[in-house]
Amino acid sequence: MSHDQDDPTLHPEVQMSTSQGYFSGFAISSILMLAATFLVTSHAVPPFGLLMVISACAGMAIIAQIYFLLHIDVSEHNIWNTVALVLFIPLFLITIGLTWWMFSQLYLHTMIMPGMTH
Amino acid sequence: MLVDLAGGWNPMWGRLAWSQIPYDNPILAPLFVAVVVGAILVLGLITYYGKWTYLWKEWLTTVDHKKLGVMYILIGLVMLFRGFIDGLMIRTQQAWAVGAHSSGVFGATHGYLTPFHFGQIYSAHGVIMILLAATPLLVGFMNIIVPIQIGARDMAYPYLNALGLWLTAAAGALIMISLFVGDFAHNGWFGYAPIFELQYSPGVGVDYWIWTMELVALGTTLGGINILATIIKMRAPGMTWGRLPIFVWATLSANVIALTSFPALQVALALIAADRYLGAHFFTAGLGGNLMLYTNLFWIWGHPEVYFVILPAFGMMSEIFPTFSEKPLFGYITMVLASMAIAGVSWLVWLHHFFTMGAGPYVNSAFSVATMLVGIPTGVKVFNWAFTMYRGRLTFNTAMLWAIGALFLLLIGGLTGMMLAVPAINYMVHNSVFVVAHFHTMLLVIVYAIFASVIYWFPKVFGFKLDEFWAKTMFWLFSAGTVLVFVPMYMLGFMGMTRRLDYVFNTVWHPYLLVMEFGIAVYMLSVLAFVALLYVSIRDHAKNQVGADAWGTSRSLEWLTHSPVPFYNFAVLPHISARDEVAWRRDNGIDHVQPDHYEDIHMPNNTGVAIILGGLTFVLGFALVWRIWWLCALSLLAIVALVIYRSFKGDPGYIITAAEVEKMEKEALRREAQISK
Repeated sequence: MSHDQDDPTLHPEVQMSTSQGYFSGFAISSILMLAATFLVTSHAVPPFGLLMVISACAGMAIIAQIYFLLHIDVSEHNIWNTVALVLFIPLFLITIGLTWWMFSQLYLHTMIMPGMTH
Repeated sequence: MLVDLAGGWNPMWGRLAWSQIPYDNPILAPLFVAVVVGAILVLGLITYYGKWTYLWKEWLTTVDHKKLGVMYILIGLVMLFRGFIDGLMIRTQQAWAVGAHSSGVFGATHGYLTPFHFGQIYSAHGVIMILLAATPLLVGFMNIIVPIQIGARDMAYPYLNALGLWLTAAAGALIMISLFVGDFAHNGWFGYAPIFELQYSPGVGVDYWIWTMELVALGTTLGGINILATIIKMRAPGMTWGRLPIFVWATLSANVIALTSFPALQVALALIAADRYLGAHFFTAGLGGNLMLYTNLFWIWGHPEVYFVILPAFGMMSEIFPTFSEKPLFGYITMVLASMAIAGVSWLVWLHHFFTMGAGPYVNSAFSVATMLVGIPTGVKVFNWAFTMYRGRLTFNTAMLWAIGALFLLLIGGLTGMMLAVPAINYMVHNSVFVVAHFHTMLLVIVYAIFASVIYWFPKVFGFKLDEFWAKTMFWLFSAGTVLVFVPMYMLGFMGMTRRLDYVFNTVWHPYLLVMEFGIAVYMLSVLAFVALLYVSIRDHAKNQVGADAWGTSRSLEWLTHSPVPFYNFAVLPHISARDEVAWRRDNGIDHVQPDHYEDIHMPNNTGVAIILGGLTFVLGFALVWRIWWLCALSLLAIVALVIYRSFKGDPGYIITAAEVEKMEKEALRREAQISK
């Protein structure tokens, strides 16, 4: 550990955080989650549409949280954010994509079509 | 209440009732008495010798990465013993309850364990061995060795490090208390939908399982962040990426896996909790839930986790082979690339845990090929180790024996893994004890690497070597046990025996099961040999003291500082000039050069916050299991308040002046001079 005790509040990632940003991130993701819950419990949309709408809500919530709460961007002074994104995006695509693929194949072979039976 | 609970609930005690204490169980009741007597004895001895202040100041509130690592390893060893006893009980039941004519005691029709009790034992065995034995043992070694190997004074976040330890301890305490209050899950260590749903498992066992795993996952994620930040930011001057010791590379790749995969486990468990506590239907068959989605989510974490535990073990072997071959590691760069490749492929193979789901030929082929790809980097590693030993000056001390044993087991486990990667074979042996034998072989690679590291790094941490005779005795007993238990297990797998049988219907299998029972008795002897090893080594520690370079042929940076390592690690941070710094200094004759002057050292203060947070987390877990809502709210509030209090207080640390450092260094050098005489 070195002697230079630099002020942690001067770090760029701390400078970027504002209470307004945190509150908007919290509000946006809460609204999106409540909307998705309402749509599911009220059966307002047919099943396949519901799947699409809540997936879209989840996607928007992820973007809002990454932007407002985690302050992840591709700027020069926060290079580790870019590293985190480079690590995260392929893993995200792999897990969601392969899960989608294996379950669509499973339903094809077992003739279960969730959301199609109504 | 959002869900219907069997057995009543009241606002004060939740689901807790006297009937939940298994005082009529002929196995648990005597054990409980023994535990209470033992605990009173230990606490009494601490009080008698007046060691409470020492314990609190030096250990319980410490943020020193070496002491935290030692405590991690102690937790790991205790849990390893508990998991071993579970294994012993499983083996005994299967050796006893064979055929319709086998006798039964303690309320069991056959053997001595009822099916419900047997289910809890194999579930606890798995959870404990993977999450509370292997993981803490490895995290302990990473904690101790990584900062010294990269020339740092402590972790990047010493307080977070202590918090990770106490969260792991809270998880261990939670699974231990499930022995005496309530019961444990009977759904296997990885859980099956829908048996863990509330209507099929109405007791608290599954809740214990959920919160234990959540706490370990949280502790390990925090630890992973800390270790990554330490490796990236705290390296000594001159320690470029190309000069990083190989164990640090292994740790780095393992913790990238930990950081990215543990959240998947936390989400999967949180969704089960939503099903059980809030009446959701994520993993039920009805109302749009999907049973296999749980298995999918679990193994998205579960397979990377397997490599999270094996990669540090590979790192340990990569440190031990060169030291006892008196040669640098063969193929350093390919070793690093292989670690990273294993970490990368770990994300692409999880479906091979459920080939039989029925996803069809395309999906199964893709995951089969991805699984076989793991063999390439692993093969690179095996050849690198072999070439490291080739024409080296080999010393067969016990650390080397354990490492070579790990190499043999890796070969067996790897080849059977290749067989299991073929879906056609996998369909035949799915859920048979062949699979069980395969993954035990792989986990034994880790156990062998851990015991090799215990022998190898013990003198660095404590300043004296372990006794060779008892270490060798333990190694040969353990290896004999391994052969006797797992060779028959492979054979039984091919004969069609499925896993987790509380009653064995086929009497043809009986001789094999008896051999395995004999093998587990040999394992028990090796445990006793380990106790003897510790006793004899501590008794004779004055005889076996060592200097900085305990083995005389060591290569990496941790062997530059004194043994035992002073709490500030290095009096003056070393400047790194080579990949194997100590070997380089020895070759250039500057390994005994001392600094001409010392400087002030800035160190972090101890804190009691971490252990209090661990205690509160245990209370929170216990309250969640028993649904004592007021206690949940209270403990959660206290945790949040304490975290906020600590973050405003911060820690300015303290300074050890140059004069004090000089005094301590002189003392250490005087001790070393005495040893070399």
